[in-house]
Amino acid sequence: MTALPVSDIPTDKLKVPAGFKVELWASGMPNARSMVQTPQGTLFVGTRFPGNVYAVVEKDGKREVKTIAKGLHRPNGVAFKDGSLFVAELSRIIRYDNIEANLDNPPAPVVVFDALPKDEAHGWKFMKLSPDGNYLYFQIGTPANITVQPVTHAVIVRLNLKTHILETVAQGVRNSVGMDFHPVTQELWFTNNARDWVNDELPNDTLNRVTAKRMNFGYPFCHQGDLLDIDFGKGRSCDEFDKPVLKIGPHVAALGMRFYTGKQFPAQYTHNIFIAEHGSWNRTKKSGFDVVRVALDAKGNVTKKEVFVSGWIQGDDFWGRPADVHVMKDGSMLVSDDVAGAIFRISYSK
Amino acid sequence: MTLTRISKAIQGVAFFLTVLSCSHAGAAPDALAGKVKAQACAACHGEGGVSSLPGFPHLAAQPQLSIFYQLLQFRDQRRKGGGMEAIAATLSEQDMRDIAAYYAALQAPAPVAGGSAEKITHGQQIAQQQYCSSCHGAQLQGQKHVPRLAGQSSEYFVSQLRNLRSGARADMDGTMSSAARSLTDEEIEAMAVYARSLP
Repeated sequence: MTALPVSDIPTDKLKVPAGFKVELWASGMPNARSMVQTPQGTLFVGTRFPGNVYAVVEKDGKREVKTIAKGLHRPNGVAFKDGSLFVAELSRIIRYDNIEANLDNPPAPVVVFDALPKDEAHGWKFMKLSPDGNYLYFQIGTPANITVQPVTHAVIVRLNLKTHILETVAQGVRNSVGMDFHPVTQELWFTNNARDWVNDELPNDTLNRVTAKRMNFGYPFCHQGDLLDIDFGKGRSCDEFDKPVLKIGPHVAALGMRFYTGKQFPAQYTHNIFIAEHGSWNRTKKSGFDVVRVALDAKGNVTKKEVFVSGWIQGDDFWGRPADVHVMKDGSMLVSDDVAGAIFRISYSK
Repeated sequence: MTLTRISKAIQGVAFFLTVLSCSHAGAAPDALAGKVKAQACAACHGEGGVSSLPGFPHLAAQPQLSIFYQLLQFRDQRRKGGGMEAIAATLSEQDMRDIAAYYAALQAPAPVAGGSAEKITHGQQIAQQQYCSSCHGAQLQGQKHVPRLAGQSSEYFVSQLRNLRSGARADMDGTMSSAARSLTDEEIEAMAVYARSLP
């Protein structure tokens, strides 16, 4: 809800593999979460609690944080197209036109689409513009931990920006707060947060891949592709549903994910997936609180998963929580932290 | 020691104290300053943070962060009620931290034994089914930004869970609206009686 002052941000606690470097890139942004960057370089950052949207700009060699919107309702999702910033609030999509020329005096937003459910639980959205620029993809999460949801919920949808028709992309997705398109196949990949209160080790959050229309990833009947729900799984089979490509870990809260499309990191990082694990809230021993790296083979099978950035938690005490990742034009990577209200930059040099 | 030297020594001490107090200004929450700033709060929340008005929350022994966060939400009009939006709008964030520190340090409200033992047990069962203790603590004593429920006014407890259920009160992250959606009025009342019975 507030941001840590620079002097209280222990950037030196963050650990990365040899050759990589972490620095504090921007701060003073309470609850900084989802990120999108414009071709001109402005970084827009959405939030879940304070109702703010931030812009980070470089001016005369200095980085400056501007709060460009206040009082929105959980403006977690951000996307950018043709000079316009799109913001996903809890139950509507709005647009700020010609925003970069008006960062100090932003125009009133235009409502793009507001026929969305108003449930608070899992109502905040992650949003991503499709590679062809015609659609906004976002999720409508399930309105509870575990319930037989209406068909409108526990889905990933896409909004056609020309016709304003909303289509379902994938069903049975409890709550996805991170998605990206594969840089080669352009398939949608997404993270999914699993249900609570089974036990400390189950079920896993998952990484998933959309390869066809009308895929159903199992919620609320089957979790992680192979675990029938203790309440709603009776008489069902996991064979009815599509499987994840990776079990990421129980309760880790896998949020923002991106394919690595830069050239700065070593060659083996090309087209890897980076995932921000926000960290568990109700596991006996806390887990997550890191950024993981997932490597794929040419067919898209997972070959490796390892921790890439850690150090947000010492024992059971955390000072920050990673929420999203973003690959910059120069190939370095940004990681937002919604507890510290800050953004870190990770770079590589030989 | 000459007078000049004494006066220099006093100046030195004064300077040292000034440096000390400056280094703390605007930083750590100050419960003593909070006590002064919280004088107006007592009209509704009671002297010592235990309210005698039904429906108003006891603030004594609430975790510091939970009071601070609620004040922020009132200020930003994301939570409404009891005229708190207008009051919070007059407070700086330092005021809020100080007031929160003051209430956090006060003695917890005494448990209320009223209500049948059967109802208390029922309330405890519902609270277990709903995993309340995983965030609110084993004795519902609260932690970090999560409020203390032990000893809380049952009228307040009932009204807030109903508001979370209906959506009239927006919670921080959806956890409480998710938890409250399937509760019946009778279950909420049983949990309220259980919570107020805890020390």
